[in-house]
Amino acid sequence: MEEIVTVQDRKRKKFPVTKMIVYAVLVLYSIFLFAPILTILVSSFIPGDELARAEWYVWGTAHPTFDGYVKLFTEDPYILSTGIPSLILGIINTLWMTLVPLVVGLLVSGLSAYAFSKLRFPGREKLFEVMVIISMVPLGAFGVISYIFYSTLGWINELGWMPLVIPGMFGSISTVFFLRMYFDGIPTGLLEAARIDGAGTITVFFRIMWPLAMPAFIAQFIFGFVGGYNNYMSALLYLNNNPDFITLQLVLSKVTTLFPGAEYKNVWCASSIIGILPLIVIYCFTQKYFLEGITAGGVKE
Amino acid sequence: MERAETAAFAEEKRKNKKKPLQVGRERWDKHAVIACIMAIIPLIGFILFSIFPLVISFLALFCNVDLYDLSNIKWNNFEGFQSVFVPGHAFDLFGFDVATYFYKACGITLWVASTQFITLAISIVISAFLAQKLKGSRLFQVLFFIPYICSGVAVAMMWRWVFADTGILNAIFGSNVKWLTDVRTMTLCIITAIIWQAPGYGIVMYKSAMNDINASLYEAAALDGANGFQKFIHVTVPCIAPTTFYLLISGIGAGLLTCDMALLIVPDSWETVGGNGSMGLTLMRFVYYLIQNDVNNQDAFGNRYMVSCAAIISWVLFALTAVFSVILFKRRQKSME
Repeated sequence: MEEIVTVQDRKRKKFPVTKMIVYAVLVLYSIFLFAPILTILVSSFIPGDELARAEWYVWGTAHPTFDGYVKLFTEDPYILSTGIPSLILGIINTLWMTLVPLVVGLLVSGLSAYAFSKLRFPGREKLFEVMVIISMVPLGAFGVISYIFYSTLGWINELGWMPLVIPGMFGSISTVFFLRMYFDGIPTGLLEAARIDGAGTITVFFRIMWPLAMPAFIAQFIFGFVGGYNNYMSALLYLNNNPDFITLQLVLSKVTTLFPGAEYKNVWCASSIIGILPLIVIYCFTQKYFLEGITAGGVKE
Repeated sequence: MERAETAAFAEEKRKNKKKPLQVGRERWDKHAVIACIMAIIPLIGFILFSIFPLVISFLALFCNVDLYDLSNIKWNNFEGFQSVFVPGHAFDLFGFDVATYFYKACGITLWVASTQFITLAISIVISAFLAQKLKGSRLFQVLFFIPYICSGVAVAMMWRWVFADTGILNAIFGSNVKWLTDVRTMTLCIITAIIWQAPGYGIVMYKSAMNDINASLYEAAALDGANGFQKFIHVTVPCIAPTTFYLLISGIGAGLLTCDMALLIVPDSWETVGGNGSMGLTLMRFVYYLIQNDVNNQDAFGNRYMVSCAAIISWVLFALTAVFSVILFKRRQKSME
């Protein structure tokens, strides 16, 4: 009896201390992560002339204003040549350049994974092995030098959107792995039942595999979307000199040249907020898929 | 007896039925052809858009490539290799000393990539604390992933604002350091932004790996008298080794290919390549610089060589990432045996 009391006593004394340390570290890390975001958020509401006059950091203002955000949409020089604010044009371009290859690519990858998982053809497993080995080679280093290839094809300048859209439409091998893993978990009996009812191969895919594997598709879609939305390097390589095909990330990276001068500093901050806010909002509503998708994607490795 | 025989017969019949069926399915009938076509489209895409560029960049190692017209390809007598690896050679050839920048960029790239260990350490510590399952740890986990989905361009702009001459950092410390242009601090700015953004992924991966650890292992350790820290070292760390291995490969790979963050935080200026003293010049960024230079000044003399140099540096980077992956993979296999 005595012993139990002392153990509990010790626990009562010790536990809050460890707990406090853990909370302290977590809170400190949160501050490191969110203080910079807060900084630009505050600065984006400070009037431009106050920022321009300041010789020191401006902590706050008596006259908060949305000027930074308004100017971002109304006062950029590209409006003259393209007719609409480059930020809006950038969002439109980013959306179609992301969604078209993403949706088509997911469909193609899904069909491929379906064929590997549920259909039969000679050499199926051998082919899959080859694809596994190929996809393990780290080819990221050739991302920029691929420019030679696309310029030879003529997919630059006016056709600069093609390197961003066309390759994605063929699906990706890593997505095929991910989906195949998921498809393998779907009982074959279900498909055979559908076949007996007279459904063809493609019908089975759309009626059974697609709905049942929806979580896997959603996870892939989300990551594809985040990747496309944040894609800067390809846009810089292929679309940099073409105001008509400007993407959101390109607009954001050009803000300091589109809005030169210290009185536009609040516009710069506003642009960063505009850049990160949409994804953060989407993330907050779908974080379950994000966090589950990322771990499921990692397991395959 | 009869029943057993019937059963055996039925079994035999089923086997016979199964066998021809399977063989029949493995033949090239209409369905198999359609299935095969469906299966190989991603592979075709990979060959078209990953292998072909690779082949052309391989040609560019030894030849001067005209960017818009591949028929104009000329053997360059290893001038590209000499330009990249022999200091001074490129300067005599076309007035831009590629080799000096190349060696500088190698150092910076390795420095940036090595900070993956810091990212990893942060991920382990934070996820170990999150795994304590205190009140609110789910909320913290959700919050900690946010930087990972932020766009690199916006993040760079944000850190430029923090590090600016009139930024919050100088205000807090009462200092007057020009973080973004001082040769000693430029690379640190880039690294800070990367370390700010990267751990979110590791935290999520580690958190799920730690959740999968069998609770009885901890109970056994507790029976042996292990305290919290000992449990972490002797139970948690070995159990999450596969995740560590995966994160190291992907993290160092990504670190070696750092480009946009360096480009955005320390932009090129008229006189410098990769900022003052080239302290923001990573290898990938140098490749971009060489290619871009060719696009912008198509008539200048040295440009044909620059594409060759860019191709060589790309292959060096590829070799680096591949070697890292192979080393880590071998290590991992050894430790598993």
